[in-house]
Amino acid sequence: MGKMKDDVVLQVDDLSIVYHTIRGDVKATNNVSFELRKGEAMALIGESGSGKTTISLSLIRKLPKNAEVTQGQVLYQRENGEVQDILQLSNRQLREFRWQDCAMVFQGAQNAFNPVLKVSKQFEDTARAHGWSDKKAVRQRSLELLKLVRLDPERVYDAYPHELSGGMKQRTLLALSVLLSPQIVILDEPTTALDILTQRAIIDVLNDMQEKLNFSIIFISHDLSLAAEMADVVATVYAGEIIEIGPVNDMFYESLHPYTFGLLAAVPKLDHEQDVLTSIKGTPPNLINPPSGCKFHPRCRFVLDRCNVDVPALTEDLGSHLAACWNKEAVVEARKEQV
Amino acid sequence: MVSQTSPMLEDAKPESATERIIERAMKIYQNYILRVLLQAVLTVWAVTSFTFILIRLMPGNPIDVLVEQILVQEGISYEEAYARVASSFQFDPDASTLDQYLDWLGDLIRFDLGESITSPGTKVIDEIARFLPWTVFAVGAGLLISFILGIVLGMAMAYYRNSPLDHLLSLFASFITGIPNYIWGLLIVIILGIQFGLFNVGQLRGTYASDVEIGFNYPFISSALAHAALPIITYVISTLGGWMLNMKSSTMSVLNEDYVNVAEARGLRDSRIISAYVGRNAMLPLFTQLTISIGFVLGSGVVIEEIFVYWGLGHYLFASITTRDYTSMQGVFLILTMTVVMANVLADLGYGLLDPRVRVSGEK
Ligand SMILES: Nc1ncnc2c1ncn2[C@@H]1O[C@H](COP(=O)(O)OP(=O)(O)O)[C@@H](O)[C@H]1O
Ligand code: SF4
Ligand SMILES: [Mg+2]
Repeated sequence: MGKMKDDVVLQVDDLSIVYHTIRGDVKATNNVSFELRKGEAMALIGESGSGKTTISLSLIRKLPKNAEVTQGQVLYQRENGEVQDILQLSNRQLREFRWQDCAMVFQGAQNAFNPVLKVSKQFEDTARAHGWSDKKAVRQRSLELLKLVRLDPERVYDAYPHELSGGMKQRTLLALSVLLSPQIVILDEPTTALDILTQRAIIDVLNDMQEKLNFSIIFISHDLSLAAEMADVVATVYAGEIIEIGPVNDMFYESLHPYTFGLLAAVPKLDHEQDVLTSIKGTPPNLINPPSGCKFHPRCRFVLDRCNVDVPALTEDLGSHLAACWNKEAVVEARKEQV
Repeated sequence: MVSQTSPMLEDAKPESATERIIERAMKIYQNYILRVLLQAVLTVWAVTSFTFILIRLMPGNPIDVLVEQILVQEGISYEEAYARVASSFQFDPDASTLDQYLDWLGDLIRFDLGESITSPGTKVIDEIARFLPWTVFAVGAGLLISFILGIVLGMAMAYYRNSPLDHLLSLFASFITGIPNYIWGLLIVIILGIQFGLFNVGQLRGTYASDVEIGFNYPFISSALAHAALPIITYVISTLGGWMLNMKSSTMSVLNEDYVNVAEARGLRDSRIISAYVGRNAMLPLFTQLTISIGFVLGSGVVIEEIFVYWGLGHYLFASITTRDYTSMQGVFLILTMTVVMANVLADLGYGLLDPRVRVSGEK
């Protein structure tokens, strides 16, 4: 098994995924690599359809049936230092890995809870599936977690899902996600279906939880202000590739890729909600026949002659801040002019 | 019916669990039970009144039927035969239908179903008590077996959709559903009984062999099962296909639900997901259909019992129709209606147990 740094919990190497469809193969993930450190929160940002969900689903091997991982590995490091490739786990190992090591809150899952079972039953089910069948202990732990997410613990625990509002269900799901103390929690647009006040509450709760329980987070969002608040590291996804990645401040104040720069330029300076990711000119690329060279070139205002021929690679610029672009200097210049 | 659904927990003021249970029970009592009872009584009254009239619209009356029979057999004069029959029956063919109806209703309110017209001295209620259990046994067993089989096969079809197994079972389900149940009854008698000689239809007359003693003993139970087997098989075959196809489509839609996906991500075992997450939710719509099916199978059971000479309520009804035994027919229709209504209430309550969302509001 590949070597991993001690403080890294998840390491994705050169991962590529296609969806087989009748119109051709959708290249939804292309040579994606990144590391997630222990206790770190990483945000994946990018337009809808850029491949964020595909990346996250592959991490717990929950991709749709027509998906195929064509290359790469997903290495997971246990607390005792043991390293496993998630893509090679047996069915039993995979079942155990899910939720116990890596929990996931799916995008748009309004009905994450089984309507005919009480919340308590669903917490117990989760615990028992991973060999923890002491109902009293499960109850006690669950009540603590429900309190941590600022719900009335007893009442919610004994309720049926339909007795909870949307925001309450989402918080209950957050509590459930950390029931088995996983090292990683993946949150795919966890606040999209909620109103703004509830979104705020969820983000506060998440920050709280992470502080107390110290797990790693992969946070997917197309709302940059939420991502900025949650993340230590931000990765920009475009056309199934990570085109820029770096510490949150570098990304927001010194972005090097024209696409990230464009996204941020469109963010209003005040902390206001706005769907900014649609405000970049042009349409998202076709992933069945993607553009040649740099896939962003048809929409890029800094485009050079070589851009539609040569594929730019993620190169190290400022320590841990990487961007895949031939013309970063122009971006830096443009920012200077802006100020 | 409680009009509002259960309150959001956020809005409810704190109160103890027992208080909530009592309050809930009161609501259900005041609204649900009363409503259901009232509906049941009204339904039974309407259906039986309707059949009361229908019965009397049939050509001939009890006296005519027997007179004709005597005329053919004994060759006496019409007047003689009529006088003989009329004197032995407690039935006045000249009384108005309204009078008869009011008489019958008056007795019914005192739970009196009267005596058989054609065999004076025999209480209708006793005859029903003799025949009803066999019908309930055969229909109940048939429906139960068919429901369970249908659920298991339907889920298998959904889990292995588009596999050869699914295609084969779909074909099978459509085929057995397309043929009416009395045809199945006849086919079984003709093909299995007569062509292949797998059983002797004559020996399976009645509900158990005459030489066994009723009670909890092997000869009686095995004999009762053997006699009921063919009607039960017919009920199973004629209803199974519907359950299978319904369960398949219901399961397929549940498999797309978020909570199934999340359950898999939670690492639950497949067995738990199949039973408590997929199965239980997919079964809910079938429960509503169960109530319709009970009435349907009971009704068609009359013909099936006649085909297999199974002495249940249907057989008794058939005999009563032949002799135009009005009181017996009315009794049977009343009991059949009550059984269907009761089955509906039970299925309704069962649905409430399975689906917490309908428990308080009493509606979906
Ligand atoms: N099951 C699927 N079959 C075919 N194409 C899919 C499927 N799921 C997603 N895609 C395509 O893959 C691309 C990436 O989708 P997704 O990962 O959901 O993006 P995001 O989460 O960033 O919105 C999109 O072009 C989308 O249309
Ligand atoms: S490589 Fe060229 S086209 Fe791509 S982002 Fe950089 S400048 Fe634009
Ligand atoms: Mg997505």
